[in-house]
Amino acid sequence: MLWLYLHFPHLLLDHIRRSRDNAGALVIVEGSGQKVIQACPEARDQGIRAGMRLKTAISLVPDLGIVRADHKQEARILADQALWLYRYAAHIVLVPPDGVLAEVGSLQRLYGGLPAAWQTVEHALNDRQLTAWMAIGHTPLAARLLARSGKGECTADQGHILRSLGQMPLLAAGFDERTCTRLQRLGLNTLGEVFDLPPAELARRLSPETLARIQKVQGTRADPQIPWQPPHHFRQQADFVQEIEHAQGLLFPLQRMLGELEEDLCWRQQDTDSLLLVLHHRHQEPARLRIRTSGPEHRAEAFLNLLRLRFEQQPLQAPVIALVLSVRRFIDREAPSGQDLLGETRDLNEAWHTLVSRLQARLGAQALRRLSPQADHRPERAWSATEVARQTRPARTDLQQLPRRPLWLLQGPQPLTEAPRAWFAGPERVSGGWWDGQRVQRDYYIAQLHSGQLAWVFRDVRDGWFVHGWFG
Amino acid sequence: MSELLNTLMQDARVWQGHRPIQTSQPAEPTGYQVLDNQLGGIGWPRGALSECLLDAPGIGELHLLLPLMQRLTRAGKTVFWLNPPHIPYAPALAREGVDLDQVILIHTRGEGDFLWTLENCLRSPVTGLVMAWPDKLAAREVRRLQLAAEAGSNVCVLFRECRYAEQNSPAALRLELEPGDHQDLKIHVLKRRGSWSGQRCALAMAQRADLAFREAPRVVHGPWAGSRR
Repeated sequence: MLWLYLHFPHLLLDHIRRSRDNAGALVIVEGSGQKVIQACPEARDQGIRAGMRLKTAISLVPDLGIVRADHKQEARILADQALWLYRYAAHIVLVPPDGVLAEVGSLQRLYGGLPAAWQTVEHALNDRQLTAWMAIGHTPLAARLLARSGKGECTADQGHILRSLGQMPLLAAGFDERTCTRLQRLGLNTLGEVFDLPPAELARRLSPETLARIQKVQGTRADPQIPWQPPHHFRQQADFVQEIEHAQGLLFPLQRMLGELEEDLCWRQQDTDSLLLVLHHRHQEPARLRIRTSGPEHRAEAFLNLLRLRFEQQPLQAPVIALVLSVRRFIDREAPSGQDLLGETRDLNEAWHTLVSRLQARLGAQALRRLSPQADHRPERAWSATEVARQTRPARTDLQQLPRRPLWLLQGPQPLTEAPRAWFAGPERVSGGWWDGQRVQRDYYIAQLHSGQLAWVFRDVRDGWFVHGWFG
Repeated sequence: MSELLNTLMQDARVWQGHRPIQTSQPAEPTGYQVLDNQLGGIGWPRGALSECLLDAPGIGELHLLLPLMQRLTRAGKTVFWLNPPHIPYAPALAREGVDLDQVILIHTRGEGDFLWTLENCLRSPVTGLVMAWPDKLAAREVRRLQLAAEAGSNVCVLFRECRYAEQNSPAALRLELEPGDHQDLKIHVLKRRGSWSGQRCALAMAQRADLAFREAPRVVHGPWAGSRR
């Protein structure tokens, strides 16, 4: 197995920079807000370095954009990277806080060799304006160490990989501090020297965990990885350094997000007809905008036009600090309606299915019902409504023997408030339900009310007169 | 240009007062000869809206559409009931020979959903008939529905209250329904394409409750004499 590791040295910075349309100096500061931990190229040009105190940085660049690092946000952004990488590789492992691991050994044939696979990923990274250090290793840990040290090469040669690992200084090998000190006191400076130690001695003198780690790097001990599973929905978030006050300013990041949505939908071979846009404000409840299209859609341009219209109707209530686009409902894409040579035949069955699934998708499966008669003497139980699904039921043959009934049945019997103008037929006694406790004892009549309506009325054995249906 | 005019004339879109035109507009016979005669021998227009204005259910309004429903469901077309005010009673429909496999009942919540659903049903080739009971519709929305109906070629009947009779409407056919004295249905044509409106006719609807041809209602003496009412 070969593993490709992507190390994102400043993912948060990349994420924020690509949602900005103006290029100003930008830094990421640590949680306490004292020290700069990441600086963008513009900031570095003006003399800001990682590790610098924030006050110094501000005095160098007064209009500095400052973003505070947030672990939750970083984890979310990392998962976003896995989402697009999943299109290129099936087996993906998230390595928080800043790495993604992908199994590429099985992809060589698909892409036509390792260099092609490497280039594909590199190209995708460029498209997304992301900085990542890539490395290939024969074990997950080897790939990770190489990537983090920036010495990754596109090679499948295990000896070569082990040699480059061997030259790696101990400090870069990711041991904990105590182990590192002890190894240095033993006079060891590179990883290669540690590899040469006899394993039994390594475990006895240092610790079994250290040995396990070394063996996992070398590949002599199994290092199982939990594969990442893509979520069943689409979610993208853009965070802004400066609050955005006008809807126009939201369109720029939205354009990119919708582009990614389009790509995602194409990849899923699905469409959607409902987008949810959540605008986060600093001091207010987030505003939720639901955008619905009249039909299944996947083109970013169509969504953007709808959003533009929506923003024209509804100006922003407050400045926006973050924007979340999510799609939860996916509709299978219709095959382009194939016409035959004469251009006449249309597959009605498929059209029926398309229509019903569209209606169900928007209204909910419960909103569409199909009716059928049931064998019961009680009128309210002599019918049933079921969800619509394409299955033909066995045809009933005794339909003509059904008793005369009105076409409208009321939801429940309504009290009869006036004496009918004329009586026509009846009584028809319906008595049943003793077997399930829903006892019914009624005499049904057909009567015309003064309004001219022809009603199906009954007299209950206890409660008096009710209307139960209309002869519509 | 003259071709365009001819088309307009033929589809009876240009209303000519001096002579009624036999339109070539696609239509479905109503199944009631008397009514068909009043509607210029054609019936329910296809690819256009029809409106039935009535105040109370139970006057025979569904029986007016029953022949159409029977014919369409047998031909494999789907009949949609959109937001009906009561339950369409399955045993009665089955008894009348309506194929219930082709009947779909839809309930929508919001007004936006209602219009969207109706538009989608109208545009689909599988639809034969849509019967819809709107809450209230602005004239603009009726216009939008009329356009959607023109995109398809099916019959769409909106059931609305009589008070809308005064409002103008882009619907191609408007009928005002009233109960008659002998369980019949009195129909007043408020609007139709291609000719004067204002025709009136009455359809015998007594068969809807098996009250076959009874001239005067026979009073049945029953147990209600001694009851509360």
